[in-house]
This record gives sequence, structure tokens and C-alpha cells, in this order.
Amino acid sequence: MLDRAARLLLPVWLLLGVSTGQGLRSGRRPPLQSGPEGRALAGQRRLLSLELLEEAEDLSLALLETGLPGELAPECRELLHDFANSSARLVGCLVRSARPVRLCQSCYRHFQSVTGRLDNITRAVGNSSETNCAKSLLMSDRLQIVVILSQFFNSTWEKASCANCLNNNSEGLSNNTLEFLGLYNASLTCFERNFQGQSINLVSGNHTEVCRNCNVTYRNLNALYNKMKKMPGRASASEHRTHLCIDVEDAMNITRRLWSRTFNCSVPCSDTVPVIAVSSFILFLPVIFYLSSFLHSKQKKRILILPKRIQSSASLVNIQEKYS
Amino acid sequence: MANVAKKVSWSGRDRDDDEPAAAGETTPLLNGAGPGTAGRTPSSRPAPHPAFLRVGQLTNVDLDDDIRELETETPTQVPSEIPHNEKLLSLKYESLDYDNCENQLFLEEERRIHHTAFRTVEIKRWVICAMIGILTGLVACFIDIVVENLAGLKFRVVKDNIDKFTEKGGLSFSLLLWATLNSSVVMAGSIIVAFIEPVAAGSGIPQIKCYLNGVKVPHVVRLKTLVIKVCGVILSVVGGLAVGKEGPMIHSGAVIAAGISQGRSTSLKRDFKIFEYFRRDTEKRDFVSAGAAAGVSAAFGAPVGGVLFSLEEGASFWNQFLTWRIFFASMISTFTLNSILSFYHGNPWDLSSPGLINFGRFDSEKLGYTFQEIPIFIFMGVVGGILGAIFNALNYWLTMFRIRYIHRPCLQVIEAMLVAAVTASVGFVMIYCSRDCQPLQEDAVTYPLQLFCADGEYNSMATAFFNTPEKSVVSLFHNPPGSYNPMTLGMFTLMYFFLACWTYGLTVSAGVFIPSLLIGAAWGRLFGISLSYLTSGAIWADPGKYALMGAAAQLGGIVRMTLSLTVIMMEATGNVTYGFPIMLALMTAKIVGDYFVEGLYDMHIQLQSVPFLHWEAPVTSHSLTAREVMSAPVTCLRRIEKVGTIVDILSDMSSNHNGFPVVESSPDTTQVAGLRGLILRSQLIVLLKHKVFVERANLSLVQRRLKLKDFRDAYPRFPPIQSIHVSQDERQCMMDLTEFMNPSPYTVPQEASLPRVFKLFRALGLRHLVVVDNHNEVVGLVTRKDLARYRLGKEGLEELSLAQT
Repeated sequence: MLDRAARLLLPVWLLLGVSTGQGLRSGRRPPLQSGPEGRALAGQRRLLSLELLEEAEDLSLALLETGLPGELAPECRELLHDFANSSARLVGCLVRSARPVRLCQSCYRHFQSVTGRLDNITRAVGNSSETNCAKSLLMSDRLQIVVILSQFFNSTWEKASCANCLNNNSEGLSNNTLEFLGLYNASLTCFERNFQGQSINLVSGNHTEVCRNCNVTYRNLNALYNKMKKMPGRASASEHRTHLCIDVEDAMNITRRLWSRTFNCSVPCSDTVPVIAVSSFILFLPVIFYLSSFLHSKQKKRILILPKRIQSSASLVNIQEKYS
Repeated sequence: MANVAKKVSWSGRDRDDDEPAAAGETTPLLNGAGPGTAGRTPSSRPAPHPAFLRVGQLTNVDLDDDIRELETETPTQVPSEIPHNEKLLSLKYESLDYDNCENQLFLEEERRIHHTAFRTVEIKRWVICAMIGILTGLVACFIDIVVENLAGLKFRVVKDNIDKFTEKGGLSFSLLLWATLNSSVVMAGSIIVAFIEPVAAGSGIPQIKCYLNGVKVPHVVRLKTLVIKVCGVILSVVGGLAVGKEGPMIHSGAVIAAGISQGRSTSLKRDFKIFEYFRRDTEKRDFVSAGAAAGVSAAFGAPVGGVLFSLEEGASFWNQFLTWRIFFASMISTFTLNSILSFYHGNPWDLSSPGLINFGRFDSEKLGYTFQEIPIFIFMGVVGGILGAIFNALNYWLTMFRIRYIHRPCLQVIEAMLVAAVTASVGFVMIYCSRDCQPLQEDAVTYPLQLFCADGEYNSMATAFFNTPEKSVVSLFHNPPGSYNPMTLGMFTLMYFFLACWTYGLTVSAGVFIPSLLIGAAWGRLFGISLSYLTSGAIWADPGKYALMGAAAQLGGIVRMTLSLTVIMMEATGNVTYGFPIMLALMTAKIVGDYFVEGLYDMHIQLQSVPFLHWEAPVTSHSLTAREVMSAPVTCLRRIEKVGTIVDILSDMSSNHNGFPVVESSPDTTQVAGLRGLILRSQLIVLLKHKVFVERANLSLVQRRLKLKDFRDAYPRFPPIQSIHVSQDERQCMMDLTEFMNPSPYTVPQEASLPRVFKLFRALGLRHLVVVDNHNEVVGLVTRKDLARYRLGKEGLEELSLAQT
């Protein structure tokens, strides 16, 4: 695992060519591959040119295509193909639902299919007789594109906290999420309906109509969101406060922004006068306290003790005179 | 005779409690003049026991005769009263006996213990250090967990209240609620400190510094102090004062160490009969320095920093084995804290919280620094030094005012409450007026306050004020760029600076580390933001780095520690590459700050009139000789002395001396005899208590020989002389001091210069240094207060005066 991570951090591997990981891994590699790579290394030593390296890679690909014995078995190729297709679908879905964020709602099936394919590849270890798909697909080269991609998908999924929107076996959206999305849609429709009438007044910022009519839906939405945030069980995952899934968060953000920024609906009552009065009263108390203790409290006196010395008074004066 | 001998009433309280007006250190009198010469009249001093003791016939070793004569010569016969100032030395403080008394009992014991037994002693030392570490870690955990929960509860209540009133109106009630909550919690914390144990006030670092320097601060290492300290610090942090819980950890560690190493608790009246070998000041001091190190280590997760702190602040007496043991204690302490806290936080084997404050990770990649930034860091050091000096100067005036006018406990409690209320209302007003709203990122803020911000946003000022100071520091270090706008930071710095300055010195137990770090982090971050704004350069993008440097510079400017602070900061950030800039910032801050005023801790030590000995004597003092420095005349005892005389000398309220030179008992009373040894008040009291009289020995009663154990059992709270009753018959008995006195006290000739005397005194940790003439006759005695009173002031050498406090 560490090795893989290290490799992910080395996007320039092609240019660097010689990496220690390569040396370590060469033992596991089918013998045929070492040929082209060896050549590549030689080429690198000569020129360090990218073209040569690419040429070498092409050559090795060409060798793979010809299906030499010991190369990728057809069933493995099948698996790889499946993975390619499903990941392509997932990527498409992810990008399409990037804004407004609908990642989790729309792509969870694709995601599941990708994880399924990956599982197929890994689980195919013992199945096929002489070929070992997991080995040849997942760990025969330095790049390990399948692994990189699956890691990318997983981390994206985790960052989006999509698991929090899905029900337990990730078969579909959870009830809460569905409810939330329903409310969200309701409030959006409400906004839209009430907004139409006064779109001319957009600049003036007077949207009392919207505020009045959609208040209930918005409150409900807000309350539900807060409830979901505080849900027990989610807090169990240690000190990091887990997020709600990105869809819900983003939807809430959009609504809130609309509500308080665009429509200017949340006008908090500011009571500046009492606050200033109370705080200045409190701030005034120490002044009274210090003044009164200065005036009334008896100043603490220290009783001097005369030191017992041979020449009790003169010595230091002498010293200082000497110095000055 | 016998029935009186039984009546030894042990007082549970210290001598300091019983006789608050008692004079301190050994400034004994010479027995030069013959008996019954002048001044046998009751003195003009306020002596609670007037001449009732004088009726007994006093032999040549007399007291007070000369001094009366001296006093009558001086015009100020009546003790003069002056307001408290910083040029005083309090009689309240005494020295610790670091010098080992090698009397015959000691030699006997050493002979009796087989040499292999000393190996067990060594093992016991290690065991004690491990226990110190574990217990300190546990106490730190306790503080942390309780503070976290109570503060969380408070903030939730206030937040709900604010959220509610933001909609409906009536935010002034939230303000009142917040202020009331704070001040009532602080009231509790302040009451226990002010009324039960005043020495638990403040951070405790000055007190521990004094203790390790060799000053016996009354009550400083008691169990009661520990309890009050821990509760007090919890209450004051929960009460929202601008304080931290890190400084008090050092004091707590020290108390734990002092307690464990003695194997008993005098407060609880429990003696576990273990570790009896360590019942003396020398051993206790070593363990206390280990405890202080363990405290630092638990507070900051910085074991090496802890060791260096002990080295820098405390350990005047040091050796490498001790260092190694102290390091061991520190490591154990941080490990204990770490494992328990990680268990508490739900990831048992993670070990991710090594200290009470965790600065969080500073990655080198993201937050690396470049060559060009080094001058900037130095400049920040200058700013930190100047701000620190202002802080200290303001705090100086405030503390002086407090000592002079706010000395009654109830006034102190009221003051603490007012500060708490004002802190809350300043915070509230700042949050109220702030229009700095930031979008809510889930994990950035613990208690997001929305107030007037749009939905889904939080008030950025609230992250700074509406949080425990530790969390605020961490968010200043780590919140992504743009989380604070410059206006917020500027106002926060300004307000918090004054609040922290006002808070330090209140009668609550609380530290100054975190407030300093917070002030520094705030202006450092502001500096970083303005820097990247001015240069519009992408290299200096991250303000967190500058927040760290600012924090270091500010802390250095206030407390003026160098080595230990650098290492503590380095360990707390977990980034060694920051060592260099932190060091530079701290160095500059110290240099700049020292130019104006001294460090906060030194200042408070001075204001407490503690006779603190610095590393060196004042530089311009070579022309002063021991003759001018010493106290004279000295009260001496003869080797075989009359009990009545000893009792009288010990009971004399006007000269509460602690060590008495023992001279040869020549029959000729008019002649001063040569020095034979030195005996301590505590030893004399134990002797009197056990009635070790020559006559009784001769009577061959079933009297067992006194052992060193009897002296240890009485340590450290020797009963006052008033509790020991000596009958008239007994007063006529004689006492042989030969085998109990220290036969080889350190002496200096009269002509030795002050720096020379100072060096001997300081390096050996002495308590009494006898000044003798050519014939080995006692002419004077140098004690801590005689040396500490010379100080290098603004106009050259100054002499401090002694005063009762």
C-alpha cells in the first residue's frame, strides 16, 4: 500500500525512469516485460529522451496485443474492459452532476457498478487456472492505472460523504435524504412561484411576498437539515465531525443563500440600545470598584525591619559614593 | 518533670500560621556583651510575649542586648510603615535546607545501611519519578476532560440562548446570561483560592521558581494547594477568563512530586512509611524539579521542553543523572496523558493528543519558510518584545495597586467576578458589532454563532471570543487563509491584550501561556495577512505560519524564557525546521523586552518581596565585603547549653532565627569561643521535644537514642516552640549539642567579597554561611536575605529593606 501511495506522488515517473520501486518490483514481473524496459533504461541512459521511452512502451503494448503465451488472458481482458466501461460511465456522471451538486443521488449506481467490477478483478485471483487476473491487472507495473482510478473514485466518494445519504446497504437514498430532497424541491418551487410576480423588483430587494409565503417550507427544510446534522450515530465516527453528503449540504447552502442573500428574508432583530446599555453598565462596574477600593480601602502598609549590621547605615552609601 | 514532658501539643499548622508577625531568617545576635548589661527592659517592638521569659537567669549567651543599643542609637525607634513597593524583602520567606547536615546521627545511619541498600534507594528514585509522571498525566487528563465538558455545556447554553433571541429580539438578555454564568463560575473559583489557599493564585510558575531557587514559599507544595489549584483552574477556564490551564499544570506537577516523594501526606495525616529516606529538602527539591518538568510536558506535549524548563527556570542544582530521571518523568507524563485522552476521544491506540494544548500539525511542505522570511521573523520578535514589555509594565502597575488596595479576600473575589463579567460583555459586544461573516465549513468551528450573519454563515469574531482560548489559538494557527478579516483580528488583539493583562494577577489560579499565545497568534496572523496583501506574493500566502511566529514572539516577550520555550514550541508544533525561526523570534523578543522591563515571572517574584538569588551577584559589588554584608551580632549556643537558654532564644519573637552557630563551651563567659558547628532551629525543637538532656541520660532512664528518623518524621512541619512545654526544673538541665549539630559548616573570612560569598552560597544552596575572624570566632552570619537585598537598579547598586508582610 505504501508503495502505491509513493508512486501516486511521482507523476514524473516517466521522466525519472529509474526508480527504486521498479527495481524491487522486477522480480514479480513476467519476464517478457523486462526486455522492453531494459531497453528503455538503456535508451534513457543514452539520451534520456521521452520519445524513446514512449517508443519502448508502444513496443511492449504491441507485444501484449499479439497475445504471447503468459500474457493477459482473455477473461482478464474481459474484466478490464468491463471496468473501463463502468468507470467511464461513472466519470461522465460525476462531471455532469457537478453543479448543482447531485453526485450522490445520480451516480451511486455507477459507483456501485465500478466497485463491483473492481471486486470481480480482485476476486478473480484463484478462479482462473494459469492466469492470475488480479496480479496482472493490479500489480504488474508501476503505474497500476486500475488501482489509481479506483482509489480516485473511492476518495471522491468519501470526500463527498455520499455514504451518509444512502441507506445502509447503499441500495438507494435513505429516507431522510428523500424527505429532505422533497422539501428542498418544494421550497424551490415556492420560491419560483412567488418570485415570478416581482422579478422587476429584484434590485430593490423587497421580497416580502416570498418571505411570507415560503417561510413555513423554509423553516421545515432548515429544521430537517439541522436534525440530520445532529443525528445520533453519525457522531460515532470519532472526533472528526462527519459531514452530511454533499448533495444535501449544497442544496441547503443554495437555499440559504437564496433566502437570506437574494431575498433578504432573515432579518434578525437587532436591539442595539439595550445591549449597549447593559454592556456599558457592566463595563462601568470595575471603574466604580477600583475607585471605591482606592478611596475607601486602607492601604496596606509594610513594617520595616531594621537589619542587624555592624555599620548598619553607612556601608551602601559609601559604596555608591565610591562609584559616583 | 515527667508529666510535663508528655505535654507536647503538635500543632497542625505551620509556624507561619501561628505567628504571622514572626520574624524570619537567621539574623542572630552576638553574645558579645556580658550578661545583664544594658537594655533588660521590654523592647519597643511588638512582641506578643513580653518579658515573661526573661525572668529566668540568662547566661552569657544572651540575646538582643546589642541590638537594643544599636536601635536606641538610630532615630527611628518606632518601626516605620511604608506602602508596599518592589524594593522590599519579606520576612515571610525562609530558605530551604539544601545543605546536608553531616552530624553524627547521619554518619551512624550511613554506617548502618549496607552499601547495597543505596541501590534500592536509587531504584526508589526511579519508581517515584514514574509515579510523578503518571499522576501528573492523570491530573492533566482530569483538568482537560472536565474543562472540555463544562465549557461545552456553557457554550451550548449561551449559544442556544443567543440563537433564540436573535430571532425574537432581546439579545441583552443573552449578554446578561453570559456575563452572569461567567462571573458566577469565576466567583466559585476565586472564593476557594482567596479564602482557602491564596498561594494557589496565578500560574504558580513564579512560586515553583522560588521553591527551586531555595526559597520556602509557605504552603506551596501542599496537597490542599493542589486540590485548590486544579479546581480553581477548571473554574477559571470554564468561567471564560482570558487564561490558560497550562501554567498551573507545572505547579500541580511540582506538588504531586513533593507529595509522592515523601510517601505521606501531612494534610491527610497519612503516613505510608515509604520513601522515608527522601524526607529532606535536598531530595524533595530534585523531585519537585522532576514534577515541574512533568507538568510542562503534560501541558504542551513537550517532554524535552519540560526538562529544559526545569533546567532553565528552576534547577540551580543539577546533575546528569537527575536530568535523565527528570526526562523519564516527563516522558511518562506525556505518554499517560496521551493514552488516556486518546482513549477518551474514542480512538484508543491512536496516541494523537500528547499535550493539553495541541498546536496541530504544521506540515513543512505547506508551511515551509524561505530565507527572505527570516528578517521578517526577527522583526516579529521585535514587535513581540515591545508588546510584551508593555504588557508587563501595565501588569506591574496593576499588581502594585492590587497589593496595596485590594488585599481583602472578598474584594479579590469581587474583582475576579467583575473581570469575568467584563470579559464576557467585551466578547459579546465585539461579536455583536462584527460584520465579518464566513461560510460555515463543518469542522472548522466548534460553536458557530450565526447572530446577524446570513443563514449558513457564522460570525468570525465568535470563533475567537466564543471558545476556550486553546481552541482559539489552534484555529488562528490552522484555519485556512481568509477565515478572519484583518479588522476582526486587529480588534481582537487589542481587546484580548488588555483583558489578559488585566486578568493576570487576579486571585484565581490561571496561567498566562495561552493568553500570550493567543494575542501573539492574532497579531501574527494579522501581520501575515497584511504582508501577503502588501506584497501580493504567493510565497507568503499562509498566515498560519506567521500566527505561530507571532505567538512565539509574544510569549517570549512576556515571560522571557528562551531555550525551554523554543523547544516547547518546536515540540508542540511537531516541526523541527521551525526551531530556527522560533529561536530567532524568541531571542529578539527577549533582547528587546529586557531593554524595557524584566519578565513577568521575575517581576511578580520581586513584587512578592521574595529573597530570590539570581545566578550572579550584582556586577558592581566587588568592593562589598562579607563584613558589610553579614548580619551581626550573632546568637550563638554553647556546645553544652542550658535548656532554659535555648528555650528563651527559640521563643524570642523578635528574632526568629533558624540557625545557630555552636561555639566551644568555655567556662569563661566573657570570651568568645571558636566555632564548632551549626545547629538548626528544627533540630533544637526535636531535641527539646524528645527531652534529650544530659541529666536525663545520666539518670539512665530507659531513654532510647535519638535517630535521624526522629528528625525526618517531624519534617517538614516542625512544631513551633510554643507547643513544647519545658518545666522550671527542666530549664536548669543541660543539653549536649555535639552529636546533633553540623560539625563542619561552611565559613568565609570577613574580607571575602560579596560576589565570592554569593557564589559559594548560591552554588552550594546554603542557608547559613558563618563569617569568622582569624581565630575562628564567629563575627557574623550571611543568610539569603543578606545577599538578596543587593540588587542592580537603575542608579547602580540598590539595597532592599526587610519588611514584614
